[in-house]
Formats: sequence, C-alpha cells, structure tokens
Amino acid sequence: MSSISSALSSATQSLLADTAALQITTNNIANANTPGYSREVPIFQEAAPTVDGNLSVGNGVVFEGYQSVRDELVSNQIQQETQAQSSANAQLSSLQQIQPTFTTSTEDIGTQMSALFTSLSSLSTNPASSAERQGVLTAGSNLVAAFNTASSALTTQQSALNLPVTQDVSQINQLTQQIAALNPKLAELAAAGQDGGSLQDQQTQLVLQLSALTNVSATQTASGETLSTGNGTPLVVGSQSYALQTATGSDGMQHVLDHNGADITASLTSAGLGGTIQMRDKTIPGLLGQLDTLANQFGNAFNAAQAEGFDQNGAPGANFFTVPAAVAGSAGVIAMAITDPAKIAASSDGSAGSNGNLANLSAVQTNPLSAGNTPADAYASLVYQVGSLTSNATAESTATTASLLQLNDQLSSVSGVSIDQEATNLITFQTAYQAAARVISTMQAMFSVTMTMGTAAAE
Amino acid sequence: MRVANMVPDMQYAVQQSQQALSVALQQVSTGLRVNQPSDDPAASASMVISLASSANVDQYTNNVSAIQSQMQTADAAINSVVTSLNTAVTLASAGSTGTSSAANDQALAAQAQGVLSSVISQANTSFQGVYLFGGSATDTPPFVAASTTYTSQKGSAAVPLSTTSPLTPGSVTIVNDASTGKAFSFTATAGDTIATLASAISGAVAAGTLSLGTTATINAKGELAVSSNSGTHGIVVSSNDAVLGSMSAGFGTEVSNAYAYVGNSTVNSVQVGDSTTVATNVPGDQLFTSGANVIGSLNGLITALQTGNSATVAGAASAVSTALSYVSQQRVPLDNTISQLSDQDSFLGQETVTLTTRQTALVGVNLATAATSLSQAELDNTAVLAAASKVLPETLLNYLAPG
Repeated sequence: MSSISSALSSATQSLLADTAALQITTNNIANANTPGYSREVPIFQEAAPTVDGNLSVGNGVVFEGYQSVRDELVSNQIQQETQAQSSANAQLSSLQQIQPTFTTSTEDIGTQMSALFTSLSSLSTNPASSAERQGVLTAGSNLVAAFNTASSALTTQQSALNLPVTQDVSQINQLTQQIAALNPKLAELAAAGQDGGSLQDQQTQLVLQLSALTNVSATQTASGETLSTGNGTPLVVGSQSYALQTATGSDGMQHVLDHNGADITASLTSAGLGGTIQMRDKTIPGLLGQLDTLANQFGNAFNAAQAEGFDQNGAPGANFFTVPAAVAGSAGVIAMAITDPAKIAASSDGSAGSNGNLANLSAVQTNPLSAGNTPADAYASLVYQVGSLTSNATAESTATTASLLQLNDQLSSVSGVSIDQEATNLITFQTAYQAAARVISTMQAMFSVTMTMGTAAAE
Repeated sequence: MRVANMVPDMQYAVQQSQQALSVALQQVSTGLRVNQPSDDPAASASMVISLASSANVDQYTNNVSAIQSQMQTADAAINSVVTSLNTAVTLASAGSTGTSSAANDQALAAQAQGVLSSVISQANTSFQGVYLFGGSATDTPPFVAASTTYTSQKGSAAVPLSTTSPLTPGSVTIVNDASTGKAFSFTATAGDTIATLASAISGAVAAGTLSLGTTATINAKGELAVSSNSGTHGIVVSSNDAVLGSMSAGFGTEVSNAYAYVGNSTVNSVQVGDSTTVATNVPGDQLFTSGANVIGSLNGLITALQTGNSATVAGAASAVSTALSYVSQQRVPLDNTISQLSDQDSFLGQETVTLTTRQTALVGVNLATAATSLSQAELDNTAVLAAASKVLPETLLNYLAPG
C-alpha cells in the first residue's frame, strides 16, 4: 500500500535525477566548444514498482548515470580523411615553395635558355662584334645561374623537409605515450560497465591528432586501443607505447626507424609524415633528376656544337659550359667554361667574320637532346609536372577539407553539443525539478495535516 | 539532420567565397588567368614553348633590320660600281674610235684610273666596321694594292734566314695573286722549313694558283722574298709565322692598277625565320675578280688606253662591257634578298600578332568575363557575410526570458 512517505521518496529520487541531469546539461554547455567532446545524455530508469496484491504502484525514477553519444564509424572516417588531408597539405606546402622557381619570369630557365639562342642569332648578324659576343657570354652565364638556382631551390627544399620528419616523429611519440596512458583507465571503466566519457573523448582526439601525422591502423581490444602504422609497426599495445626514432641515413636524410631500429621510412606513405617523405624521397628527386638530365644534355650538346667551329682567333671551339661527367647534380654545378668572348666558336672556317658555326649552336634549340625532347620541350615538361603536382595537391587538399567538413557535420549531428537543445533540456529538467519540489511541498502539507489531526489546531 | 554548430560551415563558406573573390580580383588586375603553373599546367607548359617562339620572332625581326641596312649599303656600293663601269664603257668608246690623239688617250687612261680607284673604293666598302665584300674576312679591306715583291720582317745580312730555317708549326702564309685572282695558303707543319714553303709555292705555280715565275727565295739582305714575275698584276703576301715576321711590299715594287683580293669566298647566312635563312654577303672574289673580272677588265682598259692602240682598246672595252653585265647579274640575288627581307619583316609582324593572340588565349583572361566573375564573387561574398552575421548570433537563449 502506497504511503505519503513513499511518495516523498519518489519525489526525492526525482529531485536527485533532475539535479544530475542539470549537471550533465551544464557540462554539455561548458564543453560546447571543446574539440573532440561528445555530448552526454542522462540515463533515467523507472524505479521498480511496489506490488501489493493486485496493485502495482510506481516508485519514481532512478538516475542510472550518463552516456556519451558517439558514432565510431564516422570517427574512423574522419581519421582516414585527416590522414589524406595532412598528406596533401604537407606536399602542397612544399610544392608551393618550389613552384615560383618554375614560374615564367625574367630569370627562369626557359627565359634564359631562349635568351641564349636569341643572343646567338643576334651575333650571326655581326659575328666579329665584341658586344654581341659578350651578349652571348652573358646569356650563357644567366642560363647557368638559372640552372644553379633551380637546383638549389629543389635541394634546399629537400633538406628542409628533414626537420618536419624529426618533429613529426617526436610528436608521434608524445601522442602514443598519452594514448597508451589512457588505455588502462578506459579498460577499467569498460570492465566496470561504465562509459569512457571524457577519457574516451580525449583518446579519440589524440588518435585523430596522430592520424594527421602518420597512417594509423586502430583496433579495439580488451586492454584498450591498439595502434600500429600502415605496415604493422606497433605504436601502442595496451599500456605500452613503442617510440619511433630518427637517424641520418647514408643519403644524408633523416630516416624513420621502428622501436627495433628497422628502417620503416619507405612504408610511411600517407598523413603528414608520409606526405613529407613522399616529397623528400620521391617527388623532389624526380624533378631534380629531370633538371640534371636537361642541364647535362643541354650543356654537352652545346659544347659539341661549339667544337664543330672555330673561335675568333681561329682556334677550334673549346667547351662553352663545364658539365660534369655524371648526370646527377649537373644542374647544380654546371658552369661557364669560358670567360673570353673571343672563345665563342661562331666561325666555320677559322676567320673572325664567319658565322657558319652559329647555325650549329642555334640548332641545339631545335634538335632533340639524347632524351628525345628539344631543350624547350624538356623544360616545358618539367613546368607541366610542377604545375600538375601542385594543382593535384591543391585539389586533394580542397577535396579533403570539404569532405572533412561534411564528416565533422555528420559527427556533430550525433555527438555535438547544440546550445538550443541544451537550453531546452535545461528548461525540461528545471521544470521537472520544480514539479518534484512541489510534490515534496504538497507531501509536507499533507504530513502537517496528518500530524495535527485531533489537536486543537485541527479543530 | 541535427545541426549542433553552424560555425565551422560558416567559416568554410566565408573562406571559400573570399578565396573566389581573391582569384577574381587577381585575374582582373593582372589580366591573366594563369599566374603560376598550377593554375593551368598544360597552358603553362605551352607558354614556355610559345614564349621561346616569341623571343625568336623578335630576334628575327631585329636580324632583318640589322642585315637590311648592311645589304642596302652593299647594294648601293654595287650600284656605284655599275655607274663606274658605265663611265668606263663611255671612256672605252671614246678611246676606241682610232681618231683619238695620244694625249687624249692618256687623258682617257687617267680617267679610267679614276674609275678603277672608285671601284676599288666601293669594293672596300665597310658598314659599321665590317668590310662587306671580303667574305668572312671582314676586319681588313678585301682589295689590296699588289706588288711584285714582298719581303719578310725577319732576316738580315748579319743574321740571315736560310732555306733550312724551320717554320713555326701551325703558322699560315698566304700569297694572293692579282693575275690569277686566286689565293695560295700554306700552313706549316712540324719539320717544315723555308725550303718547304718555297717548294709549295712552286707547286702552286704548277697548279695555276699562282702566276708563272712566282718564287720564294732568300734575298741578299737575308730576308725571305716572295716575288711575282707579273709586272702588270703582282701579289700580296701575308704571314703570321714569328720566324718570318710580317710580310711587307718591297719599296718601289707596287704594280699600278693591280689589286689582289685578300678576302675569302665565305658566304654568311643569317636566320630570319624558323626555316628561313638569307645569305648576307657576296664575296668580293665572286663579284669583282672571278667570272668577268671587273678589276682585271679596268686594268686592261687603262693599259690599252695608255698604249693608244684602238683595236686593243676596243677589246678592253668589250671586256668592261662584259664585266658590267656580269656585275648587274650578280646584283640581282642581292636585290631579291633585300626584297625578301622586306616581305619577311611583314610576315614576322603578323607572326608576332598570332603568337600574342595565342598566348592571350592560353593564359589571358577575357576582361568582360573576368569583370563579371569579380562582380559575382563580390556578391557571393557579401551574401555569405550577411548570412553569417544573421545566423551565427541566433540561439534559443536570445528568446528566453532572463531569470
């Protein structure tokens, strides 16, 4: 049989439940802008009813705790997309620094190469002119400077990427330590059947930060989150984190080693670290290789044409450019072999006024180099590649940013804190609290009547 | 869908619209759609080739301008030669009548000498320091007065040169013969001596390169003397051999009215189009000494007038007339080239316009389109900002009564 006291007990339960719900609402509002925070909802459960014969009377509400609202699938997709975005951004940042070298200007290789040939053409109208000869020499020096500058820009950028590699590895190690430290606590909560709450949010956020740095494969085990890189190198297993290391390789670059000292550099292909390594070890060396080939073959072709003629003193044409025997590094070290304008082998018959060999020198512009392209075509191909790589990285960055925005919207629609919704909850729980308080107040009045029954006050 | 927070979407929308605005503004301000390779990689690569073509076309235009002036100067010189030869023909006509007195013939001969001097002067025409009729030997006058004997600077009675004196390997000694109109060039190799040079000169005489009687001997002063037997033509000798020193004409050995060609037969060509080259010079030997020999015919006319023999003068007159028509013929290709250069100049002008149009199509922006895009981008940006200012401050809390 229900009694006033049991009703009072129900109202008290209700007050406690509503207070807890208000506390949760307050926490949600406080963390509305906390990165990685998943909104929490109170778990109310109807208290077991009191059964008296055929009569069953409700006993109010029981506050069972709270539950963070998550969507693991979308969270994983965000991690994947973050990896792609970081990789694209790392490459884009580097390419944007390389691109100006290959942008048409007064000093780029294409312009200087063209200037060398126009100076030769100009010399053909007056082959004995010192001024015209000096013009060819100056154009040659400018072209050499353009090759040297482009090579330097690429190698400088390549070396500069060693710093982000070591920084990323250091940051990865910090993050894996923190993630590993959270695993035992989360395992304890899980064992107790409790929600991970803010600890889980923290770990998810740390894994997301790790995803921006390296390709991470995550699996959930009884001992918590297990993380490894794409090729299976363990990063976190239970409470244990495995630190990566960096070491200078035989190529002078910073290599990434796993906790056993094995070189895993080549297997890091995505996220920020992967993008940086891709640029440093593949993209830039590819561009440098083509630039070196162009400089080497162009220099040799020009020297060969020079050797077919005679200089202003009637001597056989000596090398115009100093070109190394090895192709690698040619663009960086190609230099002028002559400083005397008279050494330009314009003549085909040994007389100072002959311009017969200038046709051979000019033909270097239109004849294919040994790689099969004309020098201008080879350079245009290089410009195309730099443009295409930058354009693709920009498109990838833009696409992943848009995709991430959408995924975050999706996650936010599940886990995000809506101030409007929380304000409504605030009113709901406040009203419920007020109602429960009113019940207590009513019970108190009833108690008071009951307590004064048969007394003078009752009469 | 439950929307918890509109800030990230708004930020993204504002960023996107501002980026679009920035791109539109850049296109309008630069007039270019492609400012860096990533804007359009294919167009950027095509621009590398196109800009090289433009630079070439600009240079071809400069080349046309430079050689046009040079060739017009050459043409004017040849025109003067034609005028001089016409004068010579008139003088020859006057001298070949058989009625002319000896004094008159001498006067005509003197006038003919003047004509020859004028022709030599034209043949030695230079343009901006470049001798136009020397082939590729452009730094010295191509026609030099010939002498019967040239002697070496080195060698003296005290320290005479001898036939066994070794020559410097690689040194070059050249004998230009005014009579044959040909040049003999001797390049010394290791072990060669003055006797080797003398032997080679004998060989050249046998081959007809040098006139009969041309010899190289050591004279009484101990010098090397290269002599011609031709009293009417003579030779010009030069050498860069330090053993011999420079060769100079012996005093009083100059042959009047005789000139040797010390240039060469090289024809220079200049590119004035991707597949167009033009010959920029006519060598003096081709123009004045080979074929109908202009200088030789004038030389012959002077000699004939001096002798006063009307039949000889008539023969010389005929030779001058032949030379006149020969020079006129030689002038035709030169005039054709000058005309071709003028046409090429117009073509290059058109080519420049074509290339510029193509470059504009590749990387340029249509200003009307760009201005419309800018206007649209401005409108979009304003709309996005207005939407953000309207939407972002709106929450339920604004509508709930305080307290």
